[in-house]
Amino acid sequence: MSEWHDVGSLADLRRDGRVLARIEGREVGVVFDQASGSLYGLRNRCPHHGGPLCLGTVRPRLTGQPGSYALAEATVIRCPWHGWEFNPSTGACLDEPALRVAVYPAKALEGRVLVDL
Amino acid sequence: MIDCDIHPQIGDPEELLAHVEEAQRDWFRGQPYFGLPGYSWSHPSSWYRQDLSTDGRPPGSDVEAVQRDLLEPSGTEVGVLNADDAVLVSLMPSPYRAAALARAHNDWIREAWLERDDRLRGAILCPAQDPEEAAREIRRVGEDPRFVQVLLCGGAERPYGEPRYLPIFEAATELGLPVAIHSGGEGMGIAAPPGGAGPVTFYIEWHTLGSACSIMAHLVSLLVHGTFERLPGLKVLLIEGGIAWLPGILWRLDTNWRALRTDTPWLERKPSEVAREHVRFSTQPLEHTDGHDELLWEMLEAAGAPEVLCFASDYPHWDFDDPAFMLKRLPESWRERVLHENAAALYGERLGLVRA
Repeated sequence: MSEWHDVGSLADLRRDGRVLARIEGREVGVVFDQASGSLYGLRNRCPHHGGPLCLGTVRPRLTGQPGSYALAEATVIRCPWHGWEFNPSTGACLDEPALRVAVYPAKALEGRVLVDL
Repeated sequence: MIDCDIHPQIGDPEELLAHVEEAQRDWFRGQPYFGLPGYSWSHPSSWYRQDLSTDGRPPGSDVEAVQRDLLEPSGTEVGVLNADDAVLVSLMPSPYRAAALARAHNDWIREAWLERDDRLRGAILCPAQDPEEAAREIRRVGEDPRFVQVLLCGGAERPYGEPRYLPIFEAATELGLPVAIHSGGEGMGIAAPPGGAGPVTFYIEWHTLGSACSIMAHLVSLLVHGTFERLPGLKVLLIEGGIAWLPGILWRLDTNWRALRTDTPWLERKPSEVAREHVRFSTQPLEHTDGHDELLWEMLEAAGAPEVLCFASDYPHWDFDDPAFMLKRLPESWRERVLHENAAALYGERLGLVRA
């Protein structure tokens, strides 16, 4: 059963790229992908080392052939501590398959940002 | 038993010079030790095992000596001859002299050694400072199946993952030859200084750090440049750089690969996994552990041992590993792999070795 929680204002999300809130004892964030306009709800704790994952950057993953660089289609959130990258939709760590961060449905409604825990 | 590292010595300089093109022969004859860069750090007493009878020539300077000292007592089935000081051709200031000496050395190996004992195999010497010329030499000599690897020197201008060196690795891969990188030459001639903190003082420092650090640098460089992604058939054998550091450097590299992947985003797999598939390590000089061999084996297992290890004696050098001693020291379950199977797989069909 859905239970939507208010995390912050849409204006703050667009300005800062993220909004954070403590909900039911968990630090939760919603991050904003400037390129696509998508919102992603995640737990604000990197499963690698405990860093504040939602303070990381949301951007296309880099890829390439040896000696050349390209942007992949996949969007990632990059932890601000050690740079490990996660799929913000599924929570899967792209650099260590054993790790996953909790993700939550997120949406904007009437100027507010909501997540469903 | 397959020995991946035997060093043929040049007993009679004229025997080698006879293979140098005539127009360059006098130049090489007039230089100290063929114009190869000299050692700033020399062994305090002797580079060689001092028990070997020499008759005024260096130990290991003819086939009979290698047979008597090594092949016969150890029952070695195949021994790979890696150039000794001549590996320093790649550190000569002149790539033209280096190419001439490498050609001569390869032809001398074929005539003076490979023709005289069918247990012996050759390593192709090439001038790394001129990779296109090196690739030509690899293709020239590599037609002879008795040459089973390409030989590069640990001392180098840049680590070997640099794209300038690709022609060497491409030629080797094309011919199905592993590339052996043998420590030595660090800080000599046109090589970068050994150890990474400026020139060292003593031979003990050079021997401890120079050889290990250069081998580490080449390993990391080849992995992060994506050399094995470019050349999926490439195999590399790292010789005489020590191995106890291997799990540490691979753990460190894997950690950095996750954190710093935007620098090298073409690396889709953990570097340690790629290393396990493509890189092999010679056992010699196997670190003395002060009675803690079990820790060494456990550490090495974390880095892919025993599959990644190949036996090497380093005959006739002072720090050689005696085959009989190694046979006893290695864990019993590792012996067949390390002493034979891994090298047989590395060299493949060129070895022409069929076991019952």
